[in-house]
Amino acid sequence: MNKSLLAALGILTLPALAAIGYAQSPKATINLYNWSNYIPPDLLKKYEKETGVRVNLDVYDSNESLLAKLKAGATGYDVIVPSDYMVKIMTDEGILEKISASKLSNFKNVQSFSIKPPFDATRDYSAPYMWGVTGFTYDSARVPGGKLEDSWKSFFEPPEALKGQIVALNDPLEMWNAASFYLGTDTCTTDAKVGEKILALLEKQKPYLAAYNSDGTIERMQAGEVIMHHQWNGAAHRTKEKLKTAVFVYPKEGMSFWNDNFAVPKTAKNKAEAVKFINWMMSPAAIAVASNFTGYNNSIKGSSKFFDASLNADPAVNTPANLTSRFRPNKICSNASIALRDKVWTRLKR
Amino acid sequence: MINPRNPLWRYWSLGVLMVVFFAFLYVPIIVLIVLSFNQNQTATIWTAFSFDWYKTVLENPNILRAAQNSLIVAAVATVASTVFATMAAVGMAGKTFKAQNAFNGLVGLPLLVPEIVTAVASLLFFLAIGLELGLTTVIIAHVVFCIPFAYLPIRARLEGLDPKLLEAASDLYARPWQAFARVTLPLLLPGIVSGAMLAFITSMDDFVITFFVAGAGATTLPVYIFGMIRTGISPEVNAISTLLFAASLLFVMVSFFISQKK
Repeated sequence: MNKSLLAALGILTLPALAAIGYAQSPKATINLYNWSNYIPPDLLKKYEKETGVRVNLDVYDSNESLLAKLKAGATGYDVIVPSDYMVKIMTDEGILEKISASKLSNFKNVQSFSIKPPFDATRDYSAPYMWGVTGFTYDSARVPGGKLEDSWKSFFEPPEALKGQIVALNDPLEMWNAASFYLGTDTCTTDAKVGEKILALLEKQKPYLAAYNSDGTIERMQAGEVIMHHQWNGAAHRTKEKLKTAVFVYPKEGMSFWNDNFAVPKTAKNKAEAVKFINWMMSPAAIAVASNFTGYNNSIKGSSKFFDASLNADPAVNTPANLTSRFRPNKICSNASIALRDKVWTRLKR
Repeated sequence: MINPRNPLWRYWSLGVLMVVFFAFLYVPIIVLIVLSFNQNQTATIWTAFSFDWYKTVLENPNILRAAQNSLIVAAVATVASTVFATMAAVGMAGKTFKAQNAFNGLVGLPLLVPEIVTAVASLLFFLAIGLELGLTTVIIAHVVFCIPFAYLPIRARLEGLDPKLLEAASDLYARPWQAFARVTLPLLLPGIVSGAMLAFITSMDDFVITFFVAGAGATTLPVYIFGMIRTGISPEVNAISTLLFAASLLFVMVSFFISQKK
């Protein structure tokens, strides 16, 4: 008995020993609270080597978790990474520190479409990180003529050959936005007549769809289960790694553009170092490392020079300059508009 | 009593039901483990066998830091909660007093309170007393909810203890403290170790309470895994989950065998 007890006690003590080896402190530390798998660990190490400031990483899974955590009173996070609409909500709630990002030395690198975003037009509270767009991908080897028009028409009113070979995202916001762009209506409309028109378009499209599904978009395209998929551009890039004939479409009517941003909560401990870190992340060489890791593009001019070859060569990620005018940043809609959108979606899915 | 010759036990569908039951419990875990050895990026299509994802996990400093946090929390929570639980169990066994049943219930109550309630309550309490959220708050919360897990095996062991042994000890002029150290404690040890292991594993695996009371720098392994789900279930998630599962299994087994020892 005694031997096995000793062994058991040994197992219990190991962690305690591990704990002892824990304490070692650099000259300063900032706590970065970020989406998981959204910044390469090596980049944070590089920052520590260059500046002597250690960056600790904690992770969350959604904007709402982040908001809840901060509102519940969590302190000590120095840099957070909210998405577009969440920056607005947090600014309105008075959670964010004014960091005057637009006056930072590296802000000159920011591309035009991210200089005055609707959620923080003066860039007082946030600096850009990654962005993405929602369009659709098709397999050029399996569509009639090998090419489709770069319009939402190809998605909403597809050629007969694609019937039952298309999957749409199971996401009311993305579907509503895509339909609004195609019809040329306001994405934040409260007009019931517009709602009817959107519903009619979606119902007309429905028989052509194999499913509404947001999961496994990459696998489904790679396996050749369907020919066309409503998709995010980062996922399109990964689809192409296996399916060389996949083409990502930037529809000419416009497409929803989301972006994540660095911000500093008022409760941060080390605001000065936080702002320095944010400035550093706006340098082309640094943010390119992050893009190589996430597979998403960023808003910094000249960063594509430092991209991996496959990322740089893929127009799904490295958007041709003449197409960025098709980006439509997510607007913050009224509750009435959200209710109308939900109603249309519910009726569509009935 | 169950009669083994009752024809119900020989009814064929019972066997089928059993298979279905175990399949329901374990097939998802088996799938998770198998896919953790998948070479492919995309988690659901099998291509080839590889240890790549385990390598990725063990080389990711963020995962290692989360694991380290988990171990620190679990180690401290185990030691503290086991000490408290042992004191409670010994105190309860010595004498009988009026509210003993109620007291017993109170010690075990955290097992029954919905975890989310404990989580919210702990968070509000920490904020009310102005304690900054961090690793400390996680540890305090874990000590609290680990106590009943440590308490139950110790108490069960203590109840099986023959009171005559203590009487014999005092007949032989052992003072109460000596009797405790030389007789009660050694006999109690299997219960204590098994309780400690249960506490350890409960602390390691906890998500809900940790998620609520963790502050900057206090991400534990389960919280980290939850965050990873956002980017899709990658084989990396499968690999960490498999490692966590293996560790849990090891501890539960050791705990079980020790509690079986006479």
